[in-house]
Amino acid sequence: MRIPDEERALAEAARAGDQNAFASLVRLHQRRAYLVARAIVTVHEDAEDAVQEGFVRAWQSMDRFDSSQSFGAWINRIVANAALDITRRRKVRTTEELSDALRSPFRDPALDAELKTRLTQALAQLPERARSVIVLHDIEGYTHTEIGEMLGIPGGTARSDLHHARQKLRGLLQDLRG
Amino acid sequence: MADELKFPGNGARADRDSLDESLVSLIREAYSPPAGEEYWAGLESRIMSRVTSHVAADTPWWSVLAPWARPALVAAAALFALAGAIDRQLTEADDPAAYESVVQSVTPDVLATSEELISVERGTDGATLSYFLSH
Repeated sequence: MRIPDEERALAEAARAGDQNAFASLVRLHQRRAYLVARAIVTVHEDAEDAVQEGFVRAWQSMDRFDSSQSFGAWINRIVANAALDITRRRKVRTTEELSDALRSPFRDPALDAELKTRLTQALAQLPERARSVIVLHDIEGYTHTEIGEMLGIPGGTARSDLHHARQKLRGLLQDLRG
Repeated sequence: MADELKFPGNGARADRDSLDESLVSLIREAYSPPAGEEYWAGLESRIMSRVTSHVAADTPWWSVLAPWARPALVAAAALFALAGAIDRQLTEADDPAAYESVVQSVTPDVLATSEELISVERGTDGATLSYFLSH
């Protein structure tokens, strides 16, 4: 994977302790990192916490960052770990709470309310990892290997998780078939 | 609306069992990130504020002197060289004067004292010799 020169230069400067360079890396990667975190924790506030925690951990570990690698892939793995830590701390969460959480204020209000409700309920009923795998693969476009690295599971497991997650989601939305 | 959900995937994606595009777009909508630029600027600022406070907490008090280390070393070296030069100059100026003062004031006295001692010793030796010879 070709690393853009600008990103490499910023990462090297940040590794040398340049906070402005690190701020530029935050600016470049925070959206993507948010999406990764949101796929895992679901709730907007938790995703935001995971992104903040992930970037702080990255700053602390900059001396271990290999600048020949992609900073984006590295930070996404760190943010995913931070998000997984949050889910471990908040393991008990009801389906209802998740459904509410998925009703993000950032969605298009024109979408059909009933369909949205059904979809959010179905997603909320999926096991945590299944939901993460669907969102990371089908929405964010990550490969099984990348998802495996982020979630700490083998790529093959991510692939089979995705297959089962899709089947389960289809089953939950069965009565919506046209 | 429900008619838009056709399962399984319709071939638009390489994956055979992929979800229908309309369902994917709904999930994407559900997971869409905040759109406002001010939100991202705020998040960046919160992240950097945590980074900065972390740096401040981790920084030992003496590290504030670190930027001065190089100038301080240069200044110390310059002071050392200057002190050395002054010392050498003072030593060079003092040496002849000290030598002269020692040679001019101490040497005659010393010599005089030595000559007196010699004469005293000679005198004493002579008296002693005369005493032994006469007795």
